[in-house]
Amino acid sequence: MPNSVFGYSPTVIALLTLLTPLASAAVIALFLRRQGSIAALISTFTAALVAAGGLTLAFGGYREAAVDASTAWLTLGNFTLSLGIKFDDLSALMISIVGVVGLCVHVFSLGYMHDDSAKARYFGGLSIFMFSMLGIVLADNLFMIFIFWELVGFSSYVLINHYDHRQTAADASKKAFITNRVGDFGFLLGIIACYYVFGTVNLTQITAAAGTGDTSLTLIALLLFCGAVGKSAQVPLHVWLPDAMEGPTPVSALIHAATMVAAGIFMLCRIEPLFAAAPVALTVVMWVGAVTALYAALCAITQSDIKKILAYSTLSQLGYMVAAFGLGRLDITPDGETSKMALITAGAAAAMFHLTTHAFFKALMFLGSGSVIHGCHHEQDIFKMGGLAKKMPLTFITFTIGVLAIIGMPAIIGMPFLAGFFSKDAILYLAMENNTPVFIILAFSAVLTAFYMVRLWRLVFFGAPRTEDASHAHEGGISMVLPLIALAILSVIGGYTAIYGNAFKAVWSQIPVAHGAAHTTILIVSVAVMLVGAGLALVLYKPAATDALAAKSPALFALLSVLKGSFDGVYNWYVAKVQQRFALLLEFLERIFLSGLIIRGLSGVVGLVGLGARALHVGSLHAYVYWFLFGAAVLWAFAGGWLN
Amino acid sequence: MFTHLLLLSIAAPLAAAAVISAGIPARLAKVVAALGFLAPALIALHVWYHFSAQTLNQGYAFTTSYATGLQSLGIKLTLGLNGIALPLYVLAGVVGLAAGLYAIQSGAERIKTYLALLLIMQAGLMGVFASVDIFFFYFFHELALIPTFIMVGVWGGKDRGYAAMKMTIYLTAGAMLSLLGLIAIYYKSGAENFDLITLRQTILQGGIAGGAQNLIFGLLMFGFGILVSLWPLHTWAPLGYGAAPSSAAMLHAGVLKKFGLYGLVQIAVPLLPLGAAHWAQPLAWLAVAGNLLVIGFITIAQRDLKQMVGYSSVMHMGYAFLGVATLSAVGAGGVILMMVAHGFSVSLLFLLSTSVYHRTQTFDLTEMGGLAQKTPVLAAFFVTATMASIGLPGLANFWGELTIFVAAWQFSKVLTVLAVSGVVISAIYGLRAAARVFFGQHTEALTKVLAEKPATDLRWSEKIPALILIAALFFIGFWPKSLSTPLNAALEAVYPAKGPTITIVGQ
Repeated sequence: MPNSVFGYSPTVIALLTLLTPLASAAVIALFLRRQGSIAALISTFTAALVAAGGLTLAFGGYREAAVDASTAWLTLGNFTLSLGIKFDDLSALMISIVGVVGLCVHVFSLGYMHDDSAKARYFGGLSIFMFSMLGIVLADNLFMIFIFWELVGFSSYVLINHYDHRQTAADASKKAFITNRVGDFGFLLGIIACYYVFGTVNLTQITAAAGTGDTSLTLIALLLFCGAVGKSAQVPLHVWLPDAMEGPTPVSALIHAATMVAAGIFMLCRIEPLFAAAPVALTVVMWVGAVTALYAALCAITQSDIKKILAYSTLSQLGYMVAAFGLGRLDITPDGETSKMALITAGAAAAMFHLTTHAFFKALMFLGSGSVIHGCHHEQDIFKMGGLAKKMPLTFITFTIGVLAIIGMPAIIGMPFLAGFFSKDAILYLAMENNTPVFIILAFSAVLTAFYMVRLWRLVFFGAPRTEDASHAHEGGISMVLPLIALAILSVIGGYTAIYGNAFKAVWSQIPVAHGAAHTTILIVSVAVMLVGAGLALVLYKPAATDALAAKSPALFALLSVLKGSFDGVYNWYVAKVQQRFALLLEFLERIFLSGLIIRGLSGVVGLVGLGARALHVGSLHAYVYWFLFGAAVLWAFAGGWLN
Repeated sequence: MFTHLLLLSIAAPLAAAAVISAGIPARLAKVVAALGFLAPALIALHVWYHFSAQTLNQGYAFTTSYATGLQSLGIKLTLGLNGIALPLYVLAGVVGLAAGLYAIQSGAERIKTYLALLLIMQAGLMGVFASVDIFFFYFFHELALIPTFIMVGVWGGKDRGYAAMKMTIYLTAGAMLSLLGLIAIYYKSGAENFDLITLRQTILQGGIAGGAQNLIFGLLMFGFGILVSLWPLHTWAPLGYGAAPSSAAMLHAGVLKKFGLYGLVQIAVPLLPLGAAHWAQPLAWLAVAGNLLVIGFITIAQRDLKQMVGYSSVMHMGYAFLGVATLSAVGAGGVILMMVAHGFSVSLLFLLSTSVYHRTQTFDLTEMGGLAQKTPVLAAFFVTATMASIGLPGLANFWGELTIFVAAWQFSKVLTVLAVSGVVISAIYGLRAAARVFFGQHTEALTKVLAEKPATDLRWSEKIPALILIAALFFIGFWPKSLSTPLNAALEAVYPAKGPTITIVGQ
């Protein structure tokens, strides 16, 4: 293992990778508020450096001993909070994803946000996001993860609120932040509990000690999971993610699809041994994931906004990852050895694998939708598009690759399997081995996935243009096309773990792979699932200006719409009718009792204690000043002996 | 080189006040006032920078004594700083400068009197935290308090008469209870003077009986509690801050209010450990159920921006009281960090709220909206201040909240769970206020106001004091050690070590 890169130690490279985006954000905030274009270039250049630094570390073979470092940041009593780097295969994988997708999104943004009036703030926000996300990836302890966890939440807030004159954007950003805070409430408690149970929050030490935890372990694991429920938008805290689509589309690609929302899954994998020692918690995680996967897929069906469909799709895919994690270890491994020696279990490996391929194909589709929206003059309704395959061929081809990847297309015989196929297969296989109900739910969700994605694809790209905007659609500039091509390539090859060499071996080696009969079964299931979903969508949806499902089966359509609105309905009711009223009631009581009755009585008592001082104060303020001066004078006179 | 610096930090603003009162022209008065505020700020930063290199005497650096003619009563003006006082001394200097600069540009009527009063207040604030002698600790508090009353009563906004009166009654009552407690410590300890160092040594040798400790700590807890707006003795605070002119609110909410908590951490808990243990549970419950939850919800209900900031400040004191109640070095350290951070963030919020008012002509949140389109810098500053106040990492407030939560877990898990829910509550009212003022579209009311007087973004005279505070928030947010290292050394000497012993698990 080489010990330096261009004369710098790997630790320094990791630090520079982490801090460069922070420097970029600081420079932009301080000096480039009005120089949007310069800010854009600096931020993009920074993203390129991050990608270079991340990939160098990941593929250069620099791992733990060579990179890791730690320093105390704050010490009070015997509590110490450290800043440190833990760089194993898992963080190497994550830093590669963040670097590559981050760079693609930055480059895409150069074109997409070209005419934006607040470009500096936008790119500053992207840089602060990159910094925060890298902090989570590199962190060696839970408090540090929490710190950067909050910071990604902040950058998400700023970027969702980018079009801040829109009430919807203002509401969405607020909702995202507060919902995440609800999850972080549990997360923080879990970290503190961890600190007391294990005496440390260091990831390496926790994982080593996980087996020694007592019965509180289940509770701790569930509290920590709260963080992932918020950040990775699992039911019931998923409500912020669809609204977050108010942000600019490249932001949706980077933050609300590929990286930040996946941080929850990454965090779970980081502390996986805790869950391994708490099977009840793991079961809860599995069910939350499965429910989210199904629920979100159902919601996606009735959406007409291209970004909302992708958002629900993201929710659903995140549900897959969380469910995969919850499925836990696979008891049978091909070579007969148990997976206990591994960094993570089969479930975590399958989750990370899907996280990787999803990052590529979902970022691709979001950027593709950005390209479509940009081409159609900010039209987002798929029923007002149509015929874009001819107008925007490159977007069409790359988007199609994304669609094939997400629906798990093994493509035509002789063609390569697409990325999503492998990772979704791994999850389905694991579910089939470990838990049949979850397997059925996930397989059914896969039908729905194929259904709503093909629906979107058909309505957007085929038939005749249905609006003026759609008929004048055009491809964006080179900066918008290049990232699409790059991500499309990754979506094709990203599922072949061989292309990564040995870089992420500790993760990839644990991916559950079916053999023999199981292999055949799973292949048949996933192809069937895909064909059924896609076929139904092709039959049902012709390029048209109205939703065919709403026309043919209004009852089903209405039911799905109600399902989608149910959580928001309950939360809005709570905020308006419970929280606000409770707050007003308390305020009323305070005015009546505390300020009115009790305090008037109390002030009398206090006045007595104060040797009747109150009588002296009721008059005017000046009286008080004079009494104070008088008292001081008397005191000095007394001390000086003049009174004797 | 440090001999008289602490005294100078008190004398300089007083001298500036005297010069201004002597009847110099207003323009010159502003320059003098600026110097009067600048001196303590620079001195504070200077001693902060050099603190770590000092040889400490009983934990104190820069100790100097001055004869005052009160020696026969055991009172000497002894100035000095230990690790607990240092952060607050720095806070006083920096917030004082920001509040002073903001006052200078405020265009208040009778500006010279206003500035003179503010300078007297500043002298008192520097004195409070530089005093080793608890008589002067109290004396300087009164010196700072009186100008507050006058400023609220004369330069205040709506309901200023009532607000000033209520503040006076409450704070005087609180101060008197505290005075009683302080005198009782002195009396019971049998020490020969009011010097905190001597008091501590005497008590270490003799100790105060448990019963007396309970009584005295109770007096101090409620006395200081009133001053820091412990629920349900807080009602003066939102009313008072709502009416106070912004610089007075900045200095009082930001700095002077911390007198009480500082007294608890520096004096009451270390000197009266049994009394503190006796009262810890009720104190923690009042703090969490009262300040954090009840006031938290009341804050959500506020429609008036300044009242909202006032209530939020009452709420955040709940964290601090909880930290005090844990009776541990981690908790007490958290309280000090929290106070410093809160001092910066709440004074910044008061400053920016006033700047918002100058553009919207109202504090009513329902009559604003979309201001960010006209004033992006003001909006960015306001969001920064809000993020600081709701404990975003990278800004100072995070450290205090986090360490208090960590300390609280060992004290009571139930209270910790309730207290941590405060992070959600504060996010709700904080972000809601920011959104209502700055985002979305203008309300009709605001459109009318803006039609008459178009809003311009922050002027440099407003930006500079705000930037001073923002810089402080970021500095401590990124480098908490600059405060926590001296702080921890001081706390470990007087507070019992608590918390898990770190066990390094073999790999």
